[in-house]
Amino acid sequence: MTTKRALLAALALLPIFLFVLVSSLPAETKESVSETVLSSGLKVLLLENHKAHVVTFQVWYRVGSRNEEYGKTGLSHLLEHMMFKGTEKIGPGELSRIIQENGGQHNAFTSADSTTYFQNFSADRINVSLELESDRMQHLMLREQDFRTERSVVMEERRLRTDDSPKAILWEQLEATAFQSQPYHWPVIGWMQDIARLTLDDLKSYYQRYYNPANAVLVVVGDFRKDELLSRIERFFGTIPKGARPEEQVSLEEPQQGGRRTIVKKEARLASLVMGYHVPNLREQQRQGSQQDSYALEVVEALLGSGESSRLQTSLVRSKKLALGVGVNHPLLSKDPSLFSISADVLPDKDVADVEKAIDEEIERLQREPVSERELQKAKNKMEAGFVFHQDSLFSQAMELAQYEMVLSWRNIDEYLPGIRKVSAEDVQRVAKRYLVPDNRTVAVLVPLPPKGSAPRLPDPSTREQGVK
Amino acid sequence: MVRANSLKLPKWLSLAVGVAIWLSLSCGLLNAMPPAQRIVLPNGLIVITSEEHALPFVTFKLLLHAGARRDPSGQGGLASLTARALLFGTQKQSMASINEQLDYIGAPLSADAGRDYAVISFRVLKKDLADGLKLFAEVLTQPAFPVEEVANEKTRTLAAIRASEDRPGEVAEKAFLNALYGAGPYGQPVIGTKESVEKLTVDELRQFYDSCYDPNNSIMVIVGDLGEKELKDTILPKVAGWQKRGLPAATLEIKAESAKKTVAIDRPLTQANLILGHGGIKRDNPDFYAVTVMNYIFGGGGLTSRLMQEIRERRGLAYSVYSGFDTGKYQGSFQIVLQTKNASARDAIQFALAEMSRMRTQLVSEKELDGAKKYLIGSFPLRLITQDGIASFLMQLEYQDLGFDYAERYPGLIQAVTAEDVLRVARAYLHPENYILVAVANLKEAGLEQ
Repeated sequence: MTTKRALLAALALLPIFLFVLVSSLPAETKESVSETVLSSGLKVLLLENHKAHVVTFQVWYRVGSRNEEYGKTGLSHLLEHMMFKGTEKIGPGELSRIIQENGGQHNAFTSADSTTYFQNFSADRINVSLELESDRMQHLMLREQDFRTERSVVMEERRLRTDDSPKAILWEQLEATAFQSQPYHWPVIGWMQDIARLTLDDLKSYYQRYYNPANAVLVVVGDFRKDELLSRIERFFGTIPKGARPEEQVSLEEPQQGGRRTIVKKEARLASLVMGYHVPNLREQQRQGSQQDSYALEVVEALLGSGESSRLQTSLVRSKKLALGVGVNHPLLSKDPSLFSISADVLPDKDVADVEKAIDEEIERLQREPVSERELQKAKNKMEAGFVFHQDSLFSQAMELAQYEMVLSWRNIDEYLPGIRKVSAEDVQRVAKRYLVPDNRTVAVLVPLPPKGSAPRLPDPSTREQGVK
Repeated sequence: MVRANSLKLPKWLSLAVGVAIWLSLSCGLLNAMPPAQRIVLPNGLIVITSEEHALPFVTFKLLLHAGARRDPSGQGGLASLTARALLFGTQKQSMASINEQLDYIGAPLSADAGRDYAVISFRVLKKDLADGLKLFAEVLTQPAFPVEEVANEKTRTLAAIRASEDRPGEVAEKAFLNALYGAGPYGQPVIGTKESVEKLTVDELRQFYDSCYDPNNSIMVIVGDLGEKELKDTILPKVAGWQKRGLPAATLEIKAESAKKTVAIDRPLTQANLILGHGGIKRDNPDFYAVTVMNYIFGGGGLTSRLMQEIRERRGLAYSVYSGFDTGKYQGSFQIVLQTKNASARDAIQFALAEMSRMRTQLVSEKELDGAKKYLIGSFPLRLITQDGIASFLMQLEYQDLGFDYAERYPGLIQAVTAEDVLRVARAYLHPENYILVAVANLKEAGLEQ
């Protein structure tokens, strides 16, 4: 039961997709995947993959923290936790036991855009998922006692993930500053005080509204026969009452009118810096009839941050010796437009301002000089190889299909590599000039406070504070 | 099933093959284990290959007996730094040049040392196999350890050690291992300490490389889209040229602390990060399978484990709580790991201890025992889906000497465990009276001030 945009962010760092035209691969997605919409409204995506006798079974609901309201943040994620508390048929705690006794691994995760439940099994156990997932799609039991306990669990989760992690706080503040009207303003796990005030009734109405077949996508990848599996899926999910797919549009951020800056002061050992530039995503670009900017930004991400020879790695880490590490992320598949981010952990005794300047220099270089043929090809090669490697995992295949489907259509996957291949040196320059500009940016800086009661620069805090009995 | 080796080797290898086994298992659950082949080259390198043609790339994992356990006293972090420094340039070309070429073919290459061994991982598209392998072999056999790059990496390592102080879970882990193993090799962080890393020199790296990097007894696992032709023509010629050194195998005596001990580290945190545990078992302990079942029921079985049920599901005291035996070639640790708000730290510790005692005094129910076995046996094939998963599995088979029929034997080994076995191993390997407790917390709020 993990939260997070972090998961999606991590994935986006390696933008890699399945079954597009790679020279040595026979199939493309359109030919391999079957899409069916059941009479109940559930969309089913099936992809056979027979390399091992296993399946991954994933139910994706079109609901995440973007669907929440002010004062009720964290609702999607808390409901995800409650989905393990049983139904009219299955007692509390039984669900995990049943899956594990069938040799299954399972979990769930919530992001800003979606909520996902999955099981990985031996292929002969698919029926377990069919039964359990169709059951909890309609008959969840929401009990007061379970709710109170689980809310405490989620508060512990927030303490663990966010409150005791200076860098997690920094990212939270970046998004809260960059987004003012758009729901990406608040964290997926929710603000602590909101979580504490959520009620069982909040959960009940949220479940009613968002959990129905018309608002979900079922993705199965693995060792099965499509026709045979589809008829079984029909049996379990076809008769569920068809609900309505709730309105999806949320308020989007107005164009930023100038750079923003936010500071987090917290006890920490290293300074850290994150900058986020508002960029359109694939969905918005599609609406405008052009995805070229999104693909060009994918290439910018690779040029700046993918691989040991990438520009920021070479400049900030290796040659200028300013940063311990750097990260670059372009959120191609967010539902609403999000942030192209660049982050750096600052080496001790180095100045955050110098790190910021060094990043700016690299961005200005992208804007000023066309990237060489070889370097552009290197970035594209790396993305294509990553794409092929990514197909090794059934789980990633299913995830990719679903993520595309949440945002656009899984069919758009096939446009990815051709889109990347078309990106020119001029495209790179153009999008760098258009989006990676200071007025469109939020910078978040972690200013480390020295441990209490000590001089700012003690060599090793651990040896000093540690008392052994 | 073991068949005769049908791999035709090039002439220069004709004297080579000490052991060569084809393995292929069939039917049902057991075909989880993909066919694999094992050969030993004249330089002593053990090469295990498994063909997997679903996708056009190849995954390499090379295990070297060059882990942190071989750090000389006072040189903590040497193994780790040496492994990373392999990628800093060779006698023929600079790090920048190597990185550019690797990125151009999109081939990730990484090297790092853990506690017991170092692993170099490499993945390359089949079409770039020859180019990629050339770089891989050059890095492995002709590292230059350039002074400036090593100095830079030391600076970053020192910063990484500092940065880890901002992650309370890591602070607790470090303190726990130090309390358990003291000044011995397992008691020191793999990455080293500020004091030890500052002193490391390029000469020491070279010396470590010369004394620990030896094809003899190293294990190279290759999984993916390759056939006999690629193996014979492209791969083996590259790695067979790596000169055998014939270094003696290093053994290790691990001494774990057995006295009760508390380590309390004060930090301005909202949660107490707790580790409660003691010495564990070695992988070759005959009780390994009974311990596996016991730990699954106790704290390893996800949401269904007793610790999870008592501490999270019933009381809402933690998001994560689990237990584990770290079973390497040498005696690893047993740990219960959990985080809870400072105010409930003492309660959580008591609940964990009570569950430990219960494991030692009552037989587990048939239902629990059965559930554990079904999971452990049924989930086994999930380890073997990806090239990476298969490669790691084969590497462990060889390293731990489990035998290539392990996947076939595993269900029987688990199935044989009885409730009495579980009770017996709980009594033998769980020590609720003699444990080390580490708390990284706001000690005052947690009531753990000393």
